[in-house]
Amino acid sequence: MKLLNNMDKKTFLALGVLLVVLSIIPHFSKLSTITLISRIFILAVYGMSYDILRGYTGFINLGHALFFGSGAYIAGIFFTNFGNNLVVFGMAVIVTVVFCSLAAYIMGKIVLRGGGVIAAAMITLALGEIVRNIAERWRSVTMGADGLPFKIPDVFRDRIGFYYYALIFLIIMTVVLRQFILSPTGRVLMAIRENEQRAEFLGYETSKYKLIGLQVAGIASGLAGIMFGILNRFANTDLLSVQQTLNALLITLVGGTGTLYGAIVGSAFVNAVQNYLLNLRSVHPIFERWLLFFGAMYVIVVLFMPEGFVGLWNKYMKERRTKKNTKAIEKGL
Amino acid sequence: MAETLIRTENLSISFGAHKAVNGVSISLEKGLFTTILGPNGAGKTTLFNLISGLLKPTEGKIFFKGTDVTGLSPVERVKMGMGRSFQLTNVFSRLTTYENVRLAMQAHEEVGYKIFTDHRRFKSLNEKTEEILEEVLLKDKKDFLAGELSHGEQRKLELGMVLALEPEVLLLDEPTAGMSIEEVPTMIDILRRTKKKGTTIILIEHKMDMVKTLSDQLIIIVNGAKLVEGDPEEVSRNPEVLKAYLGGGVLNEPTT
Repeated sequence: MKLLNNMDKKTFLALGVLLVVLSIIPHFSKLSTITLISRIFILAVYGMSYDILRGYTGFINLGHALFFGSGAYIAGIFFTNFGNNLVVFGMAVIVTVVFCSLAAYIMGKIVLRGGGVIAAAMITLALGEIVRNIAERWRSVTMGADGLPFKIPDVFRDRIGFYYYALIFLIIMTVVLRQFILSPTGRVLMAIRENEQRAEFLGYETSKYKLIGLQVAGIASGLAGIMFGILNRFANTDLLSVQQTLNALLITLVGGTGTLYGAIVGSAFVNAVQNYLLNLRSVHPIFERWLLFFGAMYVIVVLFMPEGFVGLWNKYMKERRTKKNTKAIEKGL
Repeated sequence: MAETLIRTENLSISFGAHKAVNGVSISLEKGLFTTILGPNGAGKTTLFNLISGLLKPTEGKIFFKGTDVTGLSPVERVKMGMGRSFQLTNVFSRLTTYENVRLAMQAHEEVGYKIFTDHRRFKSLNEKTEEILEEVLLKDKKDFLAGELSHGEQRKLELGMVLALEPEVLLLDEPTAGMSIEEVPTMIDILRRTKKKGTTIILIEHKMDMVKTLSDQLIIIVNGAKLVEGDPEEVSRNPEVLKAYLGGGVLNEPTT
Protein backbone atom coordinates (compact mmCIF):
# COMPACT_ATOMS: atom_id res chain seq x y z
CA MET A 1 0.00 0.00 0.00
CA LYS A 2 1.21 3.41 -0.95
CA LEU A 3 0.38 4.95 2.39
CA LEU A 4 2.41 2.43 4.35
CA ASN A 5 5.47 2.94 2.20
CA ASN A 6 5.64 6.55 3.26
CA MET A 7 5.90 5.67 6.94
CA ASP A 8 8.91 4.20 8.58
CA LYS A 9 8.63 1.05 10.66
CA LYS A 10 8.76 2.79 14.03
CA THR A 11 5.88 5.13 13.26
CA PHE A 12 3.90 2.25 11.89
CA LEU A 13 4.46 0.21 15.03
CA ALA A 14 3.61 3.11 17.32
CA LEU A 15 0.39 3.77 15.43
CA GLY A 16 -0.49 0.09 15.57
CA VAL A 17 -0.04 -0.04 19.34
CA LEU A 18 -2.05 3.16 19.73
CA LEU A 19 -4.86 1.70 17.64
CA VAL A 20 -4.95 -1.50 19.70
CA VAL A 21 -5.01 0.49 22.96
CA LEU A 22 -7.79 2.72 21.64
CA SER A 23 -9.87 -0.29 20.61
CA ILE A 24 -9.54 -1.95 24.00
CA ILE A 25 -10.17 1.14 26.12
CA PRO A 26 -13.99 1.21 25.94
CA HIS A 27 -14.21 -2.27 27.47
CA PHE A 28 -12.48 -1.13 30.64
CA SER A 29 -13.86 2.38 31.04
CA LYS A 30 -16.80 4.16 32.50
CA LEU A 31 -19.51 5.39 30.17
CA SER A 32 -18.49 8.99 30.81
CA THR A 33 -14.92 8.26 29.70
CA ILE A 34 -16.13 6.56 26.55
CA THR A 35 -18.25 9.59 25.72
CA LEU A 36 -15.35 11.91 26.47
CA ILE A 37 -13.01 10.04 24.12
CA SER A 38 -15.66 9.90 21.38
CA ARG A 39 -15.97 13.64 21.79
CA ILE A 40 -12.20 14.00 21.49
CA PHE A 41 -12.20 12.04 18.22
CA ILE A 42 -14.95 14.15 16.69
CA LEU A 43 -13.58 17.50 17.78
CA ALA A 44 -10.16 16.43 16.49
CA VAL A 45 -11.63 16.27 13.00
CA TYR A 46 -13.20 19.68 13.56
CA GLY A 47 -9.81 21.00 14.70
CA MET A 48 -8.05 19.52 11.68
CA SER A 49 -10.54 21.15 9.35
CA TYR A 50 -9.69 24.46 10.98
CA ASP A 51 -5.98 23.77 10.69
CA ILE A 52 -6.36 23.42 6.91
CA LEU A 53 -7.35 27.09 6.91
CA ARG A 54 -5.31 28.62 9.70
CA GLY A 55 -2.27 26.38 9.62
CA TYR A 56 -1.92 25.61 5.93
CA THR A 57 -3.56 28.50 4.10
CA GLY A 58 -2.95 31.28 6.60
CA PHE A 59 -6.61 32.23 6.49
CA ILE A 60 -8.36 33.13 9.73
CA ASN A 61 -11.98 32.08 9.59
CA LEU A 62 -14.01 33.33 12.54
CA GLY A 63 -17.19 31.86 11.12
CA HIS A 64 -15.93 28.30 10.89
CA ALA A 65 -18.51 27.06 13.40
CA LEU A 66 -21.26 27.70 10.87
CA PHE A 67 -20.23 24.54 9.00
CA PHE A 68 -19.95 22.51 12.20
CA GLY A 69 -23.28 23.68 13.61
CA SER A 70 -25.02 23.26 10.27
CA GLY A 71 -23.91 19.63 10.17
CA ALA A 72 -25.40 19.01 13.60
CA TYR A 73 -28.63 20.84 12.71
CA ILE A 74 -29.03 19.11 9.35
CA ALA A 75 -28.68 15.72 11.09
CA GLY A 76 -31.16 16.77 13.78
CA ILE A 77 -33.73 18.20 11.40
CA PHE A 78 -33.53 15.16 9.11
CA PHE A 79 -33.83 12.62 11.93
CA THR A 80 -36.79 14.52 13.40
CA ASN A 81 -38.69 14.95 10.15
CA PHE A 82 -37.82 11.92 8.03
CA GLY A 83 -37.30 9.22 10.64
CA ASN A 84 -34.25 8.00 12.46
CA ASN A 85 -32.74 5.34 10.21
CA LEU A 86 -29.54 4.88 8.24
CA VAL A 87 -31.04 5.99 4.93
CA VAL A 88 -31.88 9.35 6.45
CA PHE A 89 -28.38 9.45 7.92
CA GLY A 90 -26.95 8.96 4.44
CA MET A 91 -29.21 11.74 3.16
CA ALA A 92 -28.06 14.03 5.94
CA VAL A 93 -24.42 13.35 5.05
CA ILE A 94 -25.02 14.16 1.38
CA VAL A 95 -27.01 17.30 2.17
CA THR A 96 -24.33 18.45 4.62
CA VAL A 97 -21.59 17.97 2.03
CA VAL A 98 -23.56 19.91 -0.56
CA PHE A 99 -24.63 22.61 1.91
CA CYS A 100 -21.14 23.12 3.33
CA SER A 101 -19.41 23.28 -0.03
CA LEU A 102 -22.04 25.77 -1.20
CA ALA A 103 -21.78 27.85 1.97
CA ALA A 104 -17.98 27.79 1.70
CA TYR A 105 -18.25 28.85 -1.93
CA ILE A 106 -20.45 31.82 -1.04
CA MET A 107 -18.28 32.71 1.93
CA GLY A 108 -15.17 32.49 -0.23
CA LYS A 109 -16.64 34.64 -2.98
CA ILE A 110 -17.44 37.36 -0.46
CA VAL A 111 -14.27 37.13 1.62
CA LEU A 112 -11.57 36.39 -0.92
CA ARG A 113 -12.05 39.48 -3.03
CA GLY A 114 -8.78 40.93 -1.84
CA GLY A 115 -8.24 42.95 1.28
CA GLY A 116 -6.24 41.82 4.26
CA VAL A 117 -6.43 38.84 6.55
CA ILE A 118 -8.10 40.90 9.27
CA ALA A 119 -10.80 42.27 6.99
CA ALA A 120 -11.52 38.73 5.81
CA ALA A 121 -11.67 37.48 9.41
CA MET A 122 -14.19 40.18 10.32
CA ILE A 123 -16.44 39.30 7.39
CA THR A 124 -16.38 35.61 8.29
CA LEU A 125 -17.31 36.61 11.85
CA ALA A 126 -20.34 38.48 10.52
CA LEU A 127 -21.37 35.61 8.23
CA GLY A 128 -21.16 33.17 11.12
CA GLU A 129 -23.36 35.39 13.24
CA ILE A 130 -25.92 35.69 10.44
CA VAL A 131 -26.26 31.91 10.26
CA ARG A 132 -26.49 31.65 14.05
CA ASN A 133 -29.23 34.27 14.09
CA ILE A 134 -31.18 32.50 11.38
CA ALA A 135 -31.03 29.30 13.41
CA GLU A 136 -32.22 31.17 16.50
CA ARG A 137 -35.16 32.89 14.78
CA TRP A 138 -36.37 29.99 12.65
CA ARG A 139 -38.15 28.41 15.58
CA SER A 140 -40.49 26.17 13.60
CA VAL A 141 -37.55 24.13 12.33
CA THR A 142 -34.73 24.63 14.79
CA MET A 143 -36.66 25.21 18.06
CA GLY A 144 -34.69 28.43 18.41
CA ALA A 145 -32.64 29.08 21.52
CA ASP A 146 -34.07 26.02 23.29
CA GLY A 147 -32.07 23.77 21.04
CA LEU A 148 -33.16 20.77 19.06
CA PRO A 149 -33.17 17.37 20.77
CA PHE A 150 -33.59 14.47 18.38
CA LYS A 151 -33.69 10.69 18.15
CA ILE A 152 -30.83 8.93 16.41
CA PRO A 153 -30.65 5.69 14.40
CA ASP A 154 -30.45 2.55 16.56
CA VAL A 155 -26.96 1.60 15.38
CA PHE A 156 -25.54 4.76 16.92
CA ARG A 157 -27.35 4.36 20.22
CA ASP A 158 -24.85 2.04 21.87
CA ARG A 159 -22.11 4.22 23.39
CA ILE A 160 -19.36 1.65 22.86
CA GLY A 161 -20.48 1.06 19.29
CA PHE A 162 -20.52 4.77 18.58
CA TYR A 163 -17.05 5.07 20.08
CA TYR A 164 -15.79 2.82 17.30
CA TYR A 165 -17.68 4.74 14.65
CA ALA A 166 -16.12 7.96 15.92
CA LEU A 167 -12.67 6.36 15.85
CA ILE A 168 -13.19 5.12 12.29
CA PHE A 169 -14.47 8.58 11.33
CA LEU A 170 -11.32 10.15 12.77
CA ILE A 171 -9.04 7.71 10.93
CA ILE A 172 -10.80 8.18 7.60
CA MET A 173 -10.83 11.97 7.89
CA THR A 174 -7.17 12.07 8.94
CA VAL A 175 -6.17 10.03 5.90
CA VAL A 176 -8.33 12.12 3.58
CA LEU A 177 -7.13 15.47 4.92
CA ARG A 178 -3.51 14.31 4.95
CA GLN A 179 -3.90 13.31 1.34
CA PHE A 180 -5.35 16.73 0.59
CA ILE A 181 -2.37 18.44 2.22
CA LEU A 182 -0.01 16.27 0.18
CA SER A 183 -1.83 16.99 -3.08
CA PRO A 184 -0.59 19.62 -5.53
CA THR A 185 -3.45 21.86 -4.42
CA GLY A 186 -2.49 21.45 -0.75
CA ARG A 187 1.09 22.41 -1.59
CA VAL A 188 -0.10 25.58 -3.30
CA LEU A 189 -2.08 26.46 -0.17
CA MET A 190 1.17 26.28 1.81
CA ALA A 191 2.83 28.53 -0.74
CA ILE A 192 -0.02 31.00 -0.30
CA ARG A 193 0.46 30.90 3.46
CA GLU A 194 4.13 31.66 3.03
CA ASN A 195 3.85 34.38 0.44
CA GLU A 196 0.69 34.97 -1.55
CA GLN A 197 2.21 37.52 -3.90
CA ARG A 198 5.01 35.16 -4.89
CA ALA A 199 2.50 32.38 -5.52
CA GLU A 200 0.66 34.71 -7.89
CA PHE A 201 3.87 35.46 -9.73
CA LEU A 202 4.38 31.76 -10.27
CA GLY A 203 1.04 31.84 -12.07
CA TYR A 204 -1.32 30.47 -9.43
CA GLU A 205 -4.83 31.89 -9.18
CA THR A 206 -4.54 32.08 -5.43
CA SER A 207 -8.19 32.94 -4.73
CA LYS A 208 -9.32 29.76 -6.52
CA TYR A 209 -6.99 27.66 -4.43
CA LYS A 210 -8.14 29.34 -1.25
CA LEU A 211 -11.72 28.67 -2.25
CA ILE A 212 -10.97 24.96 -2.65
CA GLY A 213 -9.24 24.96 0.74
CA LEU A 214 -12.23 26.62 2.33
CA GLN A 215 -14.61 24.10 0.77
CA VAL A 216 -12.59 21.09 1.91
CA ALA A 217 -12.33 22.53 5.42
CA GLY A 218 -16.04 23.39 5.43
CA ILE A 219 -17.11 19.88 4.39
CA ALA A 220 -14.82 18.22 6.96
CA SER A 221 -16.16 20.54 9.62
CA GLY A 222 -19.76 19.82 8.61
CA LEU A 223 -19.22 16.06 8.80
CA ALA A 224 -17.71 16.46 12.26
CA GLY A 225 -20.83 18.45 13.11
CA ILE A 226 -23.08 15.53 12.13
CA MET A 227 -21.09 13.17 14.35
CA PHE A 228 -21.14 15.67 17.21
CA GLY A 229 -24.90 16.05 16.85
CA ILE A 230 -25.37 12.28 16.98
CA LEU A 231 -23.08 12.00 20.01
CA ASN A 232 -25.11 14.55 21.97
CA ARG A 233 -28.46 13.76 20.31
CA PHE A 234 -28.91 17.50 20.46
CA ALA A 235 -28.10 20.60 18.43
CA ASN A 236 -28.26 24.18 19.66
CA THR A 237 -27.15 27.58 18.51
CA ASP A 238 -23.98 27.36 20.62
CA LEU A 239 -22.64 25.02 17.97
CA LEU A 240 -22.88 27.88 15.46
CA SER A 241 -21.43 30.55 17.73
CA VAL A 242 -18.07 32.28 17.74
CA GLN A 243 -17.31 30.37 20.92
CA GLN A 244 -17.40 27.17 18.92
CA THR A 245 -15.04 28.64 16.33
CA LEU A 246 -12.69 29.65 19.12
CA ASN A 247 -12.73 26.07 20.37
CA ALA A 248 -11.27 25.01 17.02
CA LEU A 249 -8.73 27.79 17.23
CA LEU A 250 -7.65 26.70 20.71
CA ILE A 251 -7.48 23.04 19.75
CA THR A 252 -5.09 23.84 16.89
CA LEU A 253 -3.18 26.31 19.02
CA VAL A 254 -2.51 23.83 21.82
CA GLY A 255 -1.76 20.96 19.46
CA GLY A 256 0.30 22.94 17.00
CA THR A 257 -0.83 24.84 13.92
CA GLY A 258 0.11 23.64 10.49
CA THR A 259 0.76 20.10 11.65
CA LEU A 260 -2.67 18.50 11.02
CA TYR A 261 -2.07 15.84 13.72
CA GLY A 262 -1.72 18.67 16.20
CA ALA A 263 -5.49 18.98 16.21
CA ILE A 264 -5.81 15.41 17.50
CA VAL A 265 -3.40 16.07 20.38
CA GLY A 266 -5.01 19.46 20.98
CA SER A 267 -8.49 18.02 21.08
CA ALA A 268 -7.41 15.35 23.57
CA PHE A 269 -5.71 17.89 25.80
CA VAL A 270 -8.41 20.56 25.70
CA ASN A 271 -11.29 18.15 26.27
CA ALA A 272 -9.49 16.21 28.99
CA VAL A 273 -8.56 19.35 30.92
CA GLN A 274 -12.04 20.77 30.51
CA ASN A 275 -13.52 17.56 31.82
CA TYR A 276 -11.08 17.41 34.72
CA LEU A 277 -11.79 20.97 35.78
CA LEU A 278 -15.53 20.39 35.60
CA ASN A 279 -15.18 17.35 37.88
CA LEU A 280 -13.35 19.44 40.46
CA ARG A 281 -16.60 21.27 41.17
CA SER A 282 -17.29 18.88 44.01
CA VAL A 283 -13.90 19.66 45.58
CA HIS A 284 -14.28 23.41 45.72
CA PRO A 285 -17.02 25.68 44.36
CA ILE A 286 -14.46 27.91 42.63
CA PHE A 287 -14.18 25.23 39.94
CA GLU A 288 -17.71 26.16 38.88
CA ARG A 289 -15.79 28.95 37.18
CA TRP A 290 -13.57 26.50 35.33
CA LEU A 291 -13.28 28.86 32.37
CA LEU A 292 -11.11 31.03 34.59
CA PHE A 293 -8.44 28.33 34.82
CA PHE A 294 -8.94 27.38 31.24
CA GLY A 295 -8.20 30.93 30.12
CA ALA A 296 -5.06 31.06 32.24
CA MET A 297 -3.90 27.83 30.67
CA TYR A 298 -4.25 29.25 27.17
CA VAL A 299 -2.24 32.29 28.09
CA ILE A 300 0.52 30.00 29.36
CA VAL A 301 0.42 27.87 26.23
CA VAL A 302 0.65 30.88 23.92
CA LEU A 303 3.46 32.43 25.96
CA PHE A 304 5.67 29.40 26.49
CA MET A 305 4.67 26.97 23.77
CA PRO A 306 3.58 28.91 20.70
CA GLU A 307 4.25 25.93 18.43
CA GLY A 308 1.95 23.67 20.40
CA PHE A 309 2.65 20.09 21.44
CA VAL A 310 3.27 18.64 18.01
CA GLY A 311 5.32 21.67 16.95
CA LEU A 312 7.48 21.23 20.03
CA TRP A 313 7.88 17.53 19.34
CA ASN A 314 8.90 18.16 15.71
CA LYS A 315 11.46 20.69 16.86
CA TYR A 316 12.88 18.26 19.39
CA MET A 317 13.10 15.50 16.79
CA LYS A 318 14.81 17.80 14.33
CA GLU A 319 17.39 18.87 16.89
CA ARG A 320 18.08 15.27 17.76
CA ARG A 321 18.54 14.38 14.13
CA THR A 322 20.97 17.26 13.59
CA LYS A 323 22.93 16.21 16.66
CA LYS A 324 23.10 12.65 15.39
CA ASN A 325 24.30 13.84 12.02
CA THR A 326 27.03 16.01 13.52
CA LYS A 327 28.15 13.13 15.69
CA ALA A 328 28.27 10.81 12.71
CA ILE A 329 30.33 13.32 10.78
CA GLU A 330 32.72 13.77 13.71
CA LYS A 331 33.18 10.03 13.95
CA GLY A 332 33.73 9.77 10.24
CA LEU A 333 36.47 12.36 10.39
CA MET B 1 14.55 43.77 -37.10
CA ALA B 2 13.59 40.99 -34.77
CA GLU B 3 10.16 40.54 -33.31
CA THR B 4 9.16 42.92 -30.53
CA LEU B 5 8.25 41.05 -27.36
CA ILE B 6 7.42 43.81 -24.91
CA ARG B 7 6.47 47.33 -25.84
CA THR B 8 5.37 50.16 -23.59
CA GLU B 9 3.66 53.28 -24.77
CA ASN B 10 4.04 56.47 -22.79
CA LEU B 11 3.93 54.47 -19.56
CA SER B 12 3.44 56.60 -16.43
CA ILE B 13 2.50 56.13 -12.82
CA SER B 14 2.10 58.72 -10.11
CA PHE B 15 2.04 58.27 -6.39
CA GLY B 16 0.31 61.48 -5.34
CA ALA B 17 2.30 64.32 -6.85
CA HIS B 18 5.38 62.14 -7.39
CA LYS B 19 5.74 60.72 -10.87
CA ALA B 20 7.75 57.55 -10.32
CA VAL B 21 7.67 56.53 -13.96
CA ASN B 22 7.11 59.29 -16.47
CA GLY B 23 6.19 58.63 -20.08
CA VAL B 24 8.47 55.69 -20.75
CA SER B 25 8.18 54.18 -24.22
CA ILE B 26 10.48 51.25 -24.81
CA SER B 27 10.40 48.24 -27.07
CA LEU B 28 12.26 45.07 -26.24
CA GLU B 29 13.10 42.57 -28.90
CA LYS B 30 12.93 38.83 -28.75
CA GLY B 31 16.17 37.05 -27.94
CA LEU B 32 17.99 40.16 -26.78
CA PHE B 33 19.54 40.73 -23.40
CA THR B 34 18.44 44.16 -22.30
CA THR B 35 19.68 45.85 -19.19
CA ILE B 36 17.82 48.69 -17.56
CA LEU B 37 20.27 50.85 -15.68
CA GLY B 38 19.74 53.80 -13.44
CA PRO B 39 20.71 55.26 -10.10
CA ASN B 40 18.85 54.28 -6.94
CA GLY B 41 15.31 55.59 -6.91
CA ALA B 42 15.20 56.12 -10.66
CA GLY B 43 12.03 54.06 -10.99
CA LYS B 44 13.51 50.86 -12.42
CA THR B 45 11.68 48.52 -10.07
CA THR B 46 8.48 50.53 -10.48
CA LEU B 47 8.79 50.05 -14.23
CA PHE B 48 9.15 46.31 -13.64
CA ASN B 49 6.13 46.32 -11.36
CA LEU B 50 4.15 47.96 -14.14
CA ILE B 51 5.30 45.51 -16.79
CA SER B 52 4.68 42.46 -14.59
CA GLY B 53 1.28 43.72 -13.44
CA LEU B 54 1.94 44.35 -9.77
CA LEU B 55 1.00 48.01 -10.28
CA LYS B 56 -1.54 49.51 -12.64
CA PRO B 57 -0.29 52.48 -14.67
CA THR B 58 -2.04 55.83 -14.37
CA GLU B 59 -1.34 56.42 -18.04
CA GLY B 60 -0.02 54.52 -21.01
CA LYS B 61 -0.14 50.97 -22.31
CA ILE B 62 1.86 47.76 -22.16
CA PHE B 63 1.96 45.26 -24.99
CA PHE B 64 3.27 41.73 -24.64
CA LYS B 65 3.67 39.63 -27.77
CA GLY B 66 1.49 42.12 -29.58
CA THR B 67 -1.47 41.98 -27.19
CA ASP B 68 -2.46 44.79 -24.89
CA VAL B 69 -1.89 43.40 -21.38
CA THR B 70 -2.41 46.66 -19.48
CA GLY B 71 -5.61 45.39 -17.87
CA LEU B 72 -4.47 41.82 -17.23
CA SER B 73 -3.60 40.43 -13.79
CA PRO B 74 -0.08 39.26 -12.91
CA VAL B 75 -1.27 35.65 -13.04
CA GLU B 76 -2.51 36.04 -16.61
CA ARG B 77 0.77 37.65 -17.65
CA VAL B 78 2.74 34.80 -16.08
CA LYS B 79 0.63 32.34 -18.03
CA MET B 80 1.44 34.22 -21.24
CA GLY B 81 5.12 33.58 -20.59
CA MET B 82 6.37 36.42 -18.44
CA GLY B 83 8.48 35.48 -15.45
CA ARG B 84 9.91 37.86 -12.90
CA SER B 85 12.18 37.75 -9.90
CA PHE B 86 12.21 40.21 -7.05
CA GLN B 87 14.87 42.55 -5.77
CA LEU B 88 14.10 41.74 -2.17
CA THR B 89 14.32 38.02 -1.78
CA ASN B 90 10.85 36.66 -2.09
CA VAL B 91 10.79 32.91 -1.50
CA PHE B 92 8.61 30.56 0.53
CA SER B 93 10.86 30.57 3.56
CA ARG B 94 9.25 27.81 5.63
CA LEU B 95 9.24 25.36 2.71
CA THR B 96 12.29 23.46 1.52
CA THR B 97 14.46 24.67 -1.32
CA TYR B 98 13.30 21.71 -3.35
CA GLU B 99 9.64 22.49 -2.66
CA ASN B 100 10.11 26.11 -3.70
CA VAL B 101 11.35 25.09 -7.13
CA ARG B 102 8.88 22.21 -7.36
CA LEU B 103 5.99 24.61 -6.79
CA ALA B 104 7.22 26.83 -9.60
CA MET B 105 7.53 23.75 -11.81
CA GLN B 106 4.05 22.62 -10.83
CA ALA B 107 2.66 26.00 -11.85
CA HIS B 108 4.40 25.79 -15.20
CA GLU B 109 3.29 22.23 -15.93
CA GLU B 110 -0.31 23.15 -15.10
CA VAL B 111 -0.99 20.15 -12.94
CA GLY B 112 -4.43 21.54 -12.19
CA TYR B 113 -6.57 21.52 -9.11
CA LYS B 114 -5.97 17.89 -8.14
CA ILE B 115 -6.87 17.38 -4.51
CA PHE B 116 -6.21 13.72 -3.74
CA THR B 117 -3.13 12.76 -5.76
CA ASP B 118 0.13 12.80 -3.86
CA HIS B 119 2.33 15.61 -5.15
CA ARG B 120 5.38 13.35 -5.07
CA ARG B 121 3.90 11.11 -7.73
CA PHE B 122 4.46 13.50 -10.62
CA LYS B 123 7.70 12.02 -11.86
CA SER B 124 8.55 14.38 -14.70
CA LEU B 125 7.97 17.29 -12.34
CA ASN B 126 10.44 15.91 -9.82
CA GLU B 127 13.06 15.26 -12.47
CA LYS B 128 12.77 18.73 -13.91
CA THR B 129 12.98 20.21 -10.44
CA GLU B 130 16.24 18.36 -9.86
CA GLU B 131 17.54 19.71 -13.16
CA ILE B 132 16.79 23.29 -12.19
CA LEU B 133 18.39 22.81 -8.77
CA GLU B 134 21.50 21.54 -10.47
CA GLU B 135 21.49 24.48 -12.84
CA VAL B 136 21.43 27.03 -10.03
CA LEU B 137 23.92 25.00 -7.94
CA LEU B 138 21.59 24.28 -5.05
CA LYS B 139 21.32 20.52 -5.35
CA ASP B 140 23.09 19.80 -2.07
CA LYS B 141 20.84 22.27 -0.25
CA LYS B 142 17.56 20.89 -1.50
CA ASP B 143 16.30 19.67 1.87
CA PHE B 144 17.10 22.91 3.68
CA LEU B 145 14.31 25.32 4.44
CA ALA B 146 14.55 28.26 2.07
CA GLY B 147 14.71 30.58 5.09
CA GLU B 148 17.86 28.81 6.31
CA LEU B 149 19.80 29.49 3.12
CA SER B 150 22.39 32.24 2.92
CA HIS B 151 21.41 35.43 1.15
CA GLY B 152 23.34 34.53 -1.98
CA GLU B 153 21.76 31.09 -2.09
CA GLN B 154 18.32 32.62 -1.72
CA ARG B 155 19.06 34.82 -4.73
CA LYS B 156 19.97 31.71 -6.71
CA LEU B 157 16.82 29.99 -5.53
CA GLU B 158 14.80 32.99 -6.58
CA LEU B 159 16.33 32.75 -10.04
CA GLY B 160 15.76 29.00 -10.12
CA MET B 161 12.08 29.51 -9.41
CA VAL B 162 11.69 31.86 -12.37
CA LEU B 163 13.73 29.57 -14.61
CA ALA B 164 11.39 26.71 -13.72
CA LEU B 165 8.56 28.69 -15.27
CA GLU B 166 10.47 28.54 -18.57
CA PRO B 167 9.29 32.01 -19.45
CA GLU B 168 9.67 33.58 -22.85
CA VAL B 169 10.83 36.72 -21.20
CA LEU B 170 12.67 36.85 -17.91
CA LEU B 171 12.40 40.01 -15.83
CA LEU B 172 15.22 40.01 -13.29
CA ASP B 173 15.33 42.66 -10.63
CA GLU B 174 18.94 43.02 -9.48
CA PRO B 175 19.67 39.30 -9.16
CA THR B 176 23.05 40.00 -7.55
CA ALA B 177 21.80 42.55 -5.03
CA GLY B 178 23.48 41.98 -1.69
CA MET B 179 25.48 39.01 -2.97
CA SER B 180 29.06 38.58 -1.88
CA ILE B 181 31.66 39.32 -4.53
CA GLU B 182 32.70 35.66 -4.89
CA GLU B 183 29.15 34.63 -5.70
CA VAL B 184 28.55 37.15 -8.46
CA PRO B 185 30.45 35.26 -11.21
CA THR B 186 28.38 32.09 -10.72
CA MET B 187 25.26 34.20 -11.08
CA ILE B 188 26.55 35.76 -14.28
CA ASP B 189 27.39 32.27 -15.51
CA ILE B 190 23.84 31.12 -14.96
CA LEU B 191 22.54 34.18 -16.78
CA ARG B 192 24.87 33.58 -19.70
CA ARG B 193 23.67 30.00 -20.06
CA THR B 194 20.04 31.07 -19.89
CA LYS B 195 20.66 33.66 -22.58
CA LYS B 196 22.20 31.02 -24.81
CA LYS B 197 19.02 28.99 -24.59
CA GLY B 198 17.26 31.83 -26.37
CA THR B 199 15.36 33.30 -23.45
CA THR B 200 14.79 37.01 -23.67
CA ILE B 201 16.20 38.57 -20.53
CA ILE B 202 15.53 41.98 -19.12
CA LEU B 203 17.72 42.87 -16.20
CA ILE B 204 17.69 45.72 -13.76
CA GLU B 205 21.03 46.85 -12.39
CA HIS B 206 22.68 49.89 -11.03
CA LYS B 207 26.26 48.80 -11.55
CA MET B 208 27.32 48.81 -15.18
CA ASP B 209 30.49 46.77 -15.21
CA MET B 210 28.64 43.64 -14.26
CA VAL B 211 26.37 43.61 -17.26
CA LYS B 212 28.34 45.38 -19.96
CA THR B 213 29.59 42.19 -21.53
CA LEU B 214 26.29 40.36 -21.26
CA SER B 215 23.94 43.00 -22.58
CA ASP B 216 22.94 43.56 -26.15
CA GLN B 217 21.11 46.73 -25.31
CA LEU B 218 21.21 49.24 -22.50
CA ILE B 219 18.40 51.50 -21.37
CA ILE B 220 19.22 54.24 -18.92
CA ILE B 221 16.47 55.51 -16.69
CA VAL B 222 16.83 58.62 -14.59
CA ASN B 223 14.10 60.26 -12.53
CA GLY B 224 11.44 58.00 -13.95
CA ALA B 225 12.13 58.85 -17.56
CA LYS B 226 14.17 57.19 -20.26
CA LEU B 227 17.43 59.00 -20.87
CA VAL B 228 19.08 57.00 -23.63
CA GLU B 229 19.04 53.54 -25.10
CA GLY B 230 21.34 51.66 -27.39
CA ASP B 231 24.55 49.70 -27.69
CA PRO B 232 26.27 49.18 -24.29
CA GLU B 233 29.62 50.63 -25.40
CA GLU B 234 28.05 53.69 -26.92
CA VAL B 235 25.70 54.35 -24.05
CA SER B 236 28.37 54.03 -21.41
CA ARG B 237 30.39 56.76 -23.14
CA ASN B 238 27.42 59.08 -23.51
CA PRO B 239 28.19 62.30 -21.60
CA GLU B 240 24.61 62.69 -20.39
CA VAL B 241 24.72 59.25 -18.84
CA LEU B 242 27.97 60.00 -17.11
CA LYS B 243 26.49 63.19 -15.72
CA ALA B 244 23.46 61.35 -14.40
CA TYR B 245 25.78 59.08 -12.53
CA LEU B 246 27.44 62.01 -10.74
CA GLY B 247 30.39 62.46 -13.01
CA GLY B 248 30.56 58.94 -14.22
CA GLY B 249 32.73 57.57 -11.45
CA VAL B 250 30.16 55.00 -10.44
CA LEU B 251 29.80 53.53 -13.88
CA ASN B 252 33.34 52.40 -14.41
CA GLU B 253 34.30 51.79 -10.87
CA PRO B 254 34.96 48.12 -10.19
CA THR B 255 32.35 46.43 -8.06
CA THR B 256 33.29 46.35 -4.46
